[in-house]
Amino acid sequence: MLFHLEDVTKTYGPVTALDNLSVSVPTGAVGLLGPNGSGKTTLIRTLLGLIPVDKGSGAVLGLDIHTRQLDIRRLVGFAPEDECLFPGVAGVEFAAYAGELVGMRTKDAMQRAHEVLDYVGLGEARYRRVETYSTGMKQRLKLASAVVHDPKLLILDEPTNGMDPAGREEVLELARDLAHNKGMSLIFSSHLLPDVEAVCDHVVVLGAGRLLAEGMIRDLKQLHDGCFEVRLKANPAAFARRLASLGCTADVRDDLLLVRVPVGQSQQMLWQAAAAQREQIRFLRPQRSTLEEIFLKAVERP
Amino acid sequence: MPIFDQGYQHWSGELTGHGLRWLAITRHGVRIGMKNRLLRIALLIAWLPAAVLTFSLCVWGLLEQKSDLVQPLVPFLTGMLGPDVVNNPKAYRVEVWTLCYDYFLLTELRFSMIVVLLVGPGLISRDLRFNALPLYFSRPLRRIDYFVGKLGVVVVFLGSVLVVPSVIAYVLGLLFSLDWTIIRDTFPLLLACVGYGAVMSVSAGLLILALSSLSRNSRYVGLFWLAVWFVSSIVGTVLTGVNEEHRMRQTYRRAVEAERAAQAERPPKSPEDRQRQAASRQEAQRRMWADLQREQREAARSDWRPLFSYTANLSRVGRHWLGADASWEKLAETVPADERDRYLLENMGAQYPWYWSAAVLAVLFGLSICILNFRVRSLDRLK
Repeated sequence: MLFHLEDVTKTYGPVTALDNLSVSVPTGAVGLLGPNGSGKTTLIRTLLGLIPVDKGSGAVLGLDIHTRQLDIRRLVGFAPEDECLFPGVAGVEFAAYAGELVGMRTKDAMQRAHEVLDYVGLGEARYRRVETYSTGMKQRLKLASAVVHDPKLLILDEPTNGMDPAGREEVLELARDLAHNKGMSLIFSSHLLPDVEAVCDHVVVLGAGRLLAEGMIRDLKQLHDGCFEVRLKANPAAFARRLASLGCTADVRDDLLLVRVPVGQSQQMLWQAAAAQREQIRFLRPQRSTLEEIFLKAVERP
Repeated sequence: MPIFDQGYQHWSGELTGHGLRWLAITRHGVRIGMKNRLLRIALLIAWLPAAVLTFSLCVWGLLEQKSDLVQPLVPFLTGMLGPDVVNNPKAYRVEVWTLCYDYFLLTELRFSMIVVLLVGPGLISRDLRFNALPLYFSRPLRRIDYFVGKLGVVVVFLGSVLVVPSVIAYVLGLLFSLDWTIIRDTFPLLLACVGYGAVMSVSAGLLILALSSLSRNSRYVGLFWLAVWFVSSIVGTVLTGVNEEHRMRQTYRRAVEAERAAQAERPPKSPEDRQRQAASRQEAQRRMWADLQREQREAARSDWRPLFSYTANLSRVGRHWLGADASWEKLAETVPADERDRYLLENMGAQYPWYWSAAVLAVLFGLSICILNFRVRSLDRLK
């Protein structure tokens, strides 16, 4: 189990950031989704033992969040959302210092800092002062500092904020690699659904401090009975009209046709209709919910 | 594109315990501090008084041995300390060592203020400016570790100008005296020096940390510090000066009124009378000055005005621990009785109870901790 929380409530004055939250998440890459103010950052801080909760209990990597905060933080690497730096140092000193703060010996930390900076692609900039780094470089530096002590769990809070598409893709690739190839568990907090979908297997959706949905992404993206996604060689509009005349519901979405066949019919009906109209079907698959749909559905649920 | 990209490697080293986690912050702060050229220069200059202290103690050790090496300095020392002291150096060993350390620490107090000015302002303010606190507190670090680590930076630098030179000078002084009884005589002095260095480091360190936490701009913090140093000293000095002047005027007025009354009672009738009255006037003036000096010494024992000065408070505690006043009183026995008050008045500093200053420093200590506690929060707040 990566972490589990039981009836956790956290308030900041009149604001309830976490509201009787109970959730259990297995190890792996976990996406933390939710609109702004949904309690994602508070949940992360709770997991790290940075804030005392009003009530409830929980554990991260088997360690109690009330009594083993320092031990939890030894096992966890955290890259905060905000732009934050240790000032006045070069990149390699930054990462080494981050390691020393966790308890690495100076020599080990420096050696390891060089390795992780190479890994995140900052090898060439390692001796530059961090104040001169671009936003993307700072994000990668935070990632390097978070993994310098080889944590069991890596928590990335909005890691692609303010990044250009190329930089964003690089950070996602690093997160994916760490989570899927290096055996590091990952909590990836973001409100960018494609980012979460690109990196994570599991998702936790929060809203107003409550758990709205939780599970494996592939399970949440359930099949829709009798619904298919169809792509044709020619214009789908004519084929949609043909299907409508056969009793199907067909919506054109860009170059894709979303078709619902009548009850009792199968996809065979689509092949037959295409053959009858001399259309070429290039792509056909049962329709699944997108992560966006899951998210919107969860958030809209009363 | 690297020829061989080894990618991410796991690390299997051991992490140290929580106990010394603050040391990483101190080490880092010292490394950053040593990059400051001005600070390096200040440290070098701050070691010059230590060289003078070492030289003085070594000379005294050689004087105790009647070494020929210091004979050229004997007339100079006699002029400064008097023949009684120079002719019997062992009898005045403790006093001379004490006063050497007293002068050294008084000088280093000023250098310490400069060192703190160069080291301290950025310690927390830059962390606030660059939002580094989440990076610290998301690691296995408590707030106390953070504070102690930052305080350690100031303590290291102040220790290097206060304690380390004191210890080195002490050891060299021992070696040059070649008399092991000196350890018995002067070891409390070494302890006092180390204690005073610790008090000064912790007090100034916490104060600059508190000031540093008040602003994100370290330049403003530097100005705060200068204000604490200079303005408090100026206020203390001005208040003391005004009070002394007031007392002098009162004494002078009393003397003038007494003389006028005497003249009114017995107006001079002959030249001999006039001569006699002039002589008695001179005697009255001499008495007036003697009384004034005695009064000033008495008043200094309860004069609270120097308490306004931060450095005066540090100095008062340090001088008490060193035993500087007792040393001056012993040396005053070698000067004529009628000059003793003037001698002591010129050489002894503030005489009010040392624990008043200790109380002021304790209040500042508490205030600094409150400010730090309030300003450097953990992450338990909404953005």
